Amino acid sequence: MEGFRYIPKKQLFDCSVPLTGARKLFVWDGVPEGLPFESVSDLDCAVDFGISTRVERIRYAPKETASAPKATVIVPKEEEITQVISVRVSPSPLSERTVIDCPSEGKYNVVLCSHTVGQERFSTKGRIEIHVAKGASLDLVVMQNENSLSRHESDYRIRLEEESSLSLNIVTLHAGNVTNRIHSLIAGKKATCNLNGLYLADGQQIVDTDVVLVHNAEESVSRQLFKGILDGNSKSRFEGEVVVSPAAQKTEAYQANNNLLISESARASSDPHLVIYADDVKCSHGSTAGSVGDEELFYMRSRGISEKEARILQQQAFAGTVLEKVAHPELRERLSRLVEKRLRGEDTLCAGCSKRCC
Amino acid sequence: MENLLEIKNLHARIGDKEILKGINLVIKPGEVHAIMGRNGSGKSTLSAVLAGNSNYEVTEGSVTYLGQDLLKMSPEERSWAGLFLGFQYPVEIPGVTNVNFMKTAVNEHRRQKNLPPLSAAEYLKMMREKMAYVEMDPSFSSRGVNVGFSGGEKKRNEIFQMAMLSPRLAILDETDSGLDVDALRIVANGVNRLKTADNAFVVITHYQRLLDYIVPDVVHVLYKGKIVKTAGKELAAEVEAHGYEEFE
Repeated sequence: MEGFRYIPKKQLFDCSVPLTGARKLFVWDGVPEGLPFESVSDLDCAVDFGISTRVERIRYAPKETASAPKATVIVPKEEEITQVISVRVSPSPLSERTVIDCPSEGKYNVVLCSHTVGQERFSTKGRIEIHVAKGASLDLVVMQNENSLSRHESDYRIRLEEESSLSLNIVTLHAGNVTNRIHSLIAGKKATCNLNGLYLADGQQIVDTDVVLVHNAEESVSRQLFKGILDGNSKSRFEGEVVVSPAAQKTEAYQANNNLLISESARASSDPHLVIYADDVKCSHGSTAGSVGDEELFYMRSRGISEKEARILQQQAFAGTVLEKVAHPELRERLSRLVEKRLRGEDTLCAGCSKRCC
Repeated sequence: MENLLEIKNLHARIGDKEILKGINLVIKPGEVHAIMGRNGSGKSTLSAVLAGNSNYEVTEGSVTYLGQDLLKMSPEERSWAGLFLGFQYPVEIPGVTNVNFMKTAVNEHRRQKNLPPLSAAEYLKMMREKMAYVEMDPSFSSRGVNVGFSGGEKKRNEIFQMAMLSPRLAILDETDSGLDVDALRIVANGVNRLKTADNAFVVITHYQRLLDYIVPDVVHVLYKGKIVKTAGKELAAEVEAHGYEEFE
């Protein structure tokens, strides 16, 4: 920590994702830099999940992160993008806590990026608490771009009030071993909760996704789409549970996990399930694991698209259905480009990054 | 004049089933050939083999395209060399937009000729011009390749792609199937606009209908994996009137 303080941070790290006009906060190893955000110790955004036995287990799981003393509290402003760029440069294990509070009606945009700089075995535990107040709408994009040795566990604790909406899009561009646990409670009626994830893995990388989504109020809608492209010896695991409580009549809940296996040795496991206590609901869930379609491949090649390009087009198409959920056009475009670079095996890491980890 | 395509004693099978049992065919620049035959006679197998579909195995014979051994070329190499197959069942590619698909294809062709890729504006101009050939709405460009297209729209998209790649030899596999009269006329007009003294077309069809619009120089009847009769355009009318029974 002390060592790098003497080096202008811009020389160490310059993220290529910053957006035009975004309000930016750099968080270096858990310590925010700059003043537009407050840092407090006592903000509580506790989520009460109520039913489901599995929820109980998860509810108490991230104890150590919950007790992390400080939180970076983000109160986004309407019509502005808030971008939090979290950078790890010091190898000591870190617990960090981020609170995103959308306090009143309006549209909010937040981007969270996590990066590692250097070749160390970074270990990060993060807890991200999200509260979307009545009538508020939050578009949250999480970008994970870390080295192959890094271990990152993120717990997302989400609470949605009446007529609020959340679109959470997690793009795992590059990671060592990453776990995203999402616990979302729909506490108020007529809320919308869209959870999407795209993970790209190769080598020995591991991506785990664990979703528990509880509908505890009526007339709410949830949609989940998690997709992975797995190459090399990489592994993904998806566990998803949607709980519809007896109070949550007229719920609509959809959940899908689709994996594209590029290599013979890549593995994907998927376990989506629904627990429904209400009787007037529309719910569906499903998962697929497959390789690229030969017919599509031949069709493209017959038009002069080389096999390599055709495969990249297919993978981009596969990824595209998640990326298109990102509402902000500039961000969507940037993410698409980063994904394409990643699929082409080109470096996606932010300019100025010194890491040589893959 | 040099032959565009020369097929000699071509045998091919899928799995254990032999479908082509000795095809011989010579196509010269400027010609339009029609291949007619019943379902299962081997029409689609012939086009698939020529385009390089690896589901089919060639067991005997040779195919020479512009002096090259066609059978040794990959599907993309065949395309770069100017071969085009209009699919009977165009494939849907969800998530890949028409514009991205054709732009990639056109630029891959250009790369083979050591030409720089087209700029977005150049591509757009070319695309709009060729879309007009088949009366295709420009809004199709932003849709997934063939996704949610009607039968007629898919076939128009095939001809649009053909126009974009301007092939030397185009094989149209039952382009007329599933088309109403209007769509048939649009597709045929598109083909006729692309005809030059330098290129050639093979039109594969069940019916004479399409051949009223795209007039062939030579008509072949394919029966049980062999060409059993070759004649001028009058053969199409004869087949239409009497069916395929006389070839049995």
